Amino acid sequence: MGTFVSVSLKIPYKKLPDGKGGFGYYAALPVNIALPTKNAPRSKRFEAIIDSGATRCVFHADIGKAIGLDVEAGEIESTLGIAGSTNMYLHDISLYAPGGIIAIRAGFSIDLPVAGLLGMTGFFDNFKITFDAIGRHCELERLFRA
Amino acid sequence: MSMKAPADARLEVLRSAPLNSWIALSEDESKIVAVGSTFSEVVTKSEEAGVSDPIIIKTPKAWAPLSV
Repeated sequence: MGTFVSVSLKIPYKKLPDGKGGFGYYAALPVNIALPTKNAPRSKRFEAIIDSGATRCVFHADIGKAIGLDVEAGEIESTLGIAGSTNMYLHDISLYAPGGIIAIRAGFSIDLPVAGLLGMTGFFDNFKITFDAIGRHCELERLFRA
Repeated sequence: MSMKAPADARLEVLRSAPLNSWIALSEDESKIVAVGSTFSEVVTKSEEAGVSDPIIIKTPKAWAPLSV
């Protein structure tokens, strides 16, 4: 099975306040999501953090409701974060990312402190991702399998 | 005359943003165009403000180093 790259882009690291007058760097990507049905309207763009520590993509439940999901009707999955475990609800959605739509099964959580996390399953498995701490950017190369 | 780089302007915007809220940034990310308590509310308000393609961010309850 071959793999080829069709889209490549560099995303400068962004800064977030650290609550102590300074800031921290992070890599984030503006994305849209939609129901998996054909021609379903997309959400507005929101900023999701590129997070290799997330097993799958997770989005705030508010965004799921905005695209028409009955969030709490989804399969419940317990997830473990640094603050402990919480439940999220799984749904099949379309993720609009560089290079085109990715069909994914994502988690939705009301407890997520950010809008979204782009995790290993559904995001990292569709890209070659390079974090450049010196250049303070992240390079994404979309992979397609022939 | 000093000018802030756009990235730092964005940082200042985030520092000034209401916590535990949804905010919509202008396309160049230099200013907040709408604030809401839900994603849908901030989408509606940004459209009312005439910004059709904002970038929407969820602010946390308190700024702190992220470990999500």
